[in-house]
Amino acid sequence: MSAEGEEKLWETKKYDEVRIYKDEEIWNYTDEELANYKCKHDTPLLDQLEEGPWPSFVSDIKQEALHRHKLPEDKLLIPADVCDDLLGQVELSYVEKETHWKHGGIVGVFGYGGGVIGRYSDQQEKFPGVAHFHTLRVNQPASKFYKTDYLRALCDIWEYRGSGLTNMHGSTGDTVLLGTFTEQLEPVFFDLTHDLGVDLGGSGSNLRTPSCCVGKARCEFACYDTQDICYELTMHYQDELHRPAFPYKFKFKFDGCPNCCVASIARSDMSYIGTWKDDIRIDQEAVRAYVAGELKPNAGAFGGRDWGKFDIQKEVIDLCPAGCMEWDGKELKVNNKECVRCMHCINVMPRALRIGTDTGCSILFGAKAPILEGAQMSMLTIPFIRVEKPYDAIKDIVDKVWDWWMEEGKNRERVGELIQRKGVQEFVTKVLGIPAIPQMAKEPRSNPYVFWSEDEVPGGWQRDINEFRKRHPR
Amino acid sequence: MASLDEIKKVIVDFATNTKKSKFYFKDMEKAVQKVIPDAKSREIKKAATALINEGTLVYFSTGSSTMYGLKGRGISLETEETGKAD
Amino acid sequence: MSLGKLGYYNPEKPLENRITDIGPPHYEQFFPPVIKRNYGKWLYHEILEPGVLVHVSETGEKAYTVRVGGARLMSVQHIREICDIADKYCDGYVRWTTRNCVEFITDSEEKAKALKADLDSRKFPKGSYKFPVGGTGCSITNIVHTQGWIHCHTPATDASGIVKSVHDELFDYFKNMTLPAKLRISLACCLNMCGAVHCSDIAILGVHRKPPMIDDEVLAKICEIPLVVAACPLGAIRPAKTEDGRKTVRVNQERCMFCGNCYTMCAAMPLADSEGDGVAILAGGKISNRKSAPKFSKVIIPYIPNEPPRWPKVCETIRHIVEVYAKDARKYERLGEWAERIGWEKFFEKIGIPFTEKSLDDYRLAYDTYRTTTHFKYTEHVWEVAKAVGGV
Repeated sequence: MSAEGEEKLWETKKYDEVRIYKDEEIWNYTDEELANYKCKHDTPLLDQLEEGPWPSFVSDIKQEALHRHKLPEDKLLIPADVCDDLLGQVELSYVEKETHWKHGGIVGVFGYGGGVIGRYSDQQEKFPGVAHFHTLRVNQPASKFYKTDYLRALCDIWEYRGSGLTNMHGSTGDTVLLGTFTEQLEPVFFDLTHDLGVDLGGSGSNLRTPSCCVGKARCEFACYDTQDICYELTMHYQDELHRPAFPYKFKFKFDGCPNCCVASIARSDMSYIGTWKDDIRIDQEAVRAYVAGELKPNAGAFGGRDWGKFDIQKEVIDLCPAGCMEWDGKELKVNNKECVRCMHCINVMPRALRIGTDTGCSILFGAKAPILEGAQMSMLTIPFIRVEKPYDAIKDIVDKVWDWWMEEGKNRERVGELIQRKGVQEFVTKVLGIPAIPQMAKEPRSNPYVFWSEDEVPGGWQRDINEFRKRHPR
Repeated sequence: MASLDEIKKVIVDFATNTKKSKFYFKDMEKAVQKVIPDAKSREIKKAATALINEGTLVYFSTGSSTMYGLKGRGISLETEETGKAD
Repeated sequence: MSLGKLGYYNPEKPLENRITDIGPPHYEQFFPPVIKRNYGKWLYHEILEPGVLVHVSETGEKAYTVRVGGARLMSVQHIREICDIADKYCDGYVRWTTRNCVEFITDSEEKAKALKADLDSRKFPKGSYKFPVGGTGCSITNIVHTQGWIHCHTPATDASGIVKSVHDELFDYFKNMTLPAKLRISLACCLNMCGAVHCSDIAILGVHRKPPMIDDEVLAKICEIPLVVAACPLGAIRPAKTEDGRKTVRVNQERCMFCGNCYTMCAAMPLADSEGDGVAILAGGKISNRKSAPKFSKVIIPYIPNEPPRWPKVCETIRHIVEVYAKDARKYERLGEWAERIGWEKFFEKIGIPFTEKSLDDYRLAYDTYRTTTHFKYTEHVWEVAKAVGGV
């Protein structure tokens, strides 16, 4: 079985073709049994987290614990009480206020440098079920849409060969399978690639699993096809995703508009944020309907409180950061040349205002969390670029940046830190080969310490001191 | 231009003789370029991948960053920490 | 799927039948039909009630979405229940949001209503909701978070437990859209921030406050000293010898910023400590470009001790911040925008929390946060200084 041509395996594939458990094995306990379930370890502290209205992860882990105990032995390949032991160990942490996990560095699947996070308990005698508790990162489908056939198949694999616990989803976006023994890593990987048609995600000094917002699938603000480019670049850079040769991690995130629902500007080395270059489309009739109170502002987002009558002047015109809008009581005017496309007016009146039709994205570089030099947000570098298949122009930019970073970057230096260390001028003019423009800076520099290069100064730097002395005796 | 096999050989020499049993890609790259100055990082990566697939080199990942090492050389955290090698 | 211990895998020939580099499944096959038909054709959306959205397409079709919150940690049984619901109401399709909410999408309002009623009725045996509907508009939606004591080796606090407790405390704000703007809370269990919480309205951040201990007896046996030395981002670890001649390392404790990278490389350098560890609270960050530029969150409370299982002090503090903000901020004003408008000195005054020297930056690039104008507002803080210098 090969994956070639099976990218859309699940258009026809059914869970029943690959399932491990029968229906009666899946729902093999009663509500009463669940209510009375006694965990292998006493967990009085964790039990308190079963109360309150918010979904309780403790109740959920107990549900899986009970379920595992009622499955036939030959239908589980790691200990049946892995969930009990996890609760036991976490309870111990709740008592002692310290973690009991150790890092485990060398585990992984053959040939890949990422996708598996090794973890061992430091209480293996007490909690043998979680002696190993390795995690697999599974590359999520773009925007995290799923068919239940696929999810059920994933559940079967993970109950059979793992803890039955997941994160939906990890911070980077992967479907995270939480906790199994070393010996099951390869079999899980084989099942994932052979039967589900899905690969691992990234970890370590790799391209990390790219992720995107819901985009054109269900959002009227999407300025480009976030899913398509996310998928295309993920596929194009599979080698970089699985086989680490970067100085450190590298993230792509794709936001369809400046609302930035996947937070690309805060957490991706290369942020793609949708924008447009023509005019905001206005339906004046609908504007008047908002003003008349016939339509709810901000799509009803303020519905839980009485904020009084909608005031377009106060709530839209005066809050526009560019001050580029006017309302004369009948017609809304936007001076689009002055607009910075912040989305506020569009968010407030989505039925009246729409993004332009001449769209693309802004590319920003360098965001990261605080380790090491402090947190950074991405810097606006390419204000507008078209986002069109097959994305060759964008791939060219990616390749240039990676070549430079791989050449110049120190171990564990993010590209945003390298840009600071080597200087943003080098990054812009030499690496990307683009002109410096005012959009790249909040304001021009205030210190005058310009590093002029020799070729910028007439006559160069080599001068004759004797000639100088002729004019200026000692 | 150096062949893949030549680069592989330099990598194995480096991995065998370096003081650290695990090293970053960058360290390996520098070691190769010392011997073969015109070796490109993409070629070095190809050679390293080939060595991984042959089972000569292994990856070591901290989760946030990744290193390479000669298989069997140095302290295997897994064996030491858990007392059972799988 | 494969059965038996090794499944399809043959350890004798690890490359045999190995499939690699196939990436994720193509997204399109997972789109509900109404999404597929209207891809890129959406005109506008509306929140019908908390947790229920309708998106209207230029084709005239409508997609109804019911959003539910929940724990990011999910058992396969819970996912199967989600699948059962999705099969019953949504033709077998479901999605997750970036903030770990689950979204059920249907093509009719009746189905959406029935779906919502069904979701609201499902509870765990001890009474917590399985699928609370909400998290839209000016609400507090799912708190994104990291692993904590469930899976991490360097956490300074738990993640799932505090998050559950804070959610319980703020449940009304999830169910109702009563805030001046949306409010995003995030948690990272150490300052490495796997969760990148640094641009949230309110961030809960695990902090260690004690440098690693050094287990001299075993260090050289279980760790490679050059790797440990190289692991420290601040170069604070050097090779050393014990009095009896064992190879080991020493940490320049003054330089330690408590990140735990050394422990990642070397289990002989644990740093977790029940008295040292706890959480810091940060506030005022945002991601969106709406109105004002994205902002970092700022450290407003440098330390609160860990109080499992329910972290009462953290919950109470956050509830209080949210309540003061909700009362005082203007419509459309994010928490950070409100703090900037009234001035951070007023923020501390209104919230009633002490401003400590720990909120003055002394790391690199600290100058960015110094105030270099005479614009300020008079709060009690000013008189403290005046008194200290004998000026009042």
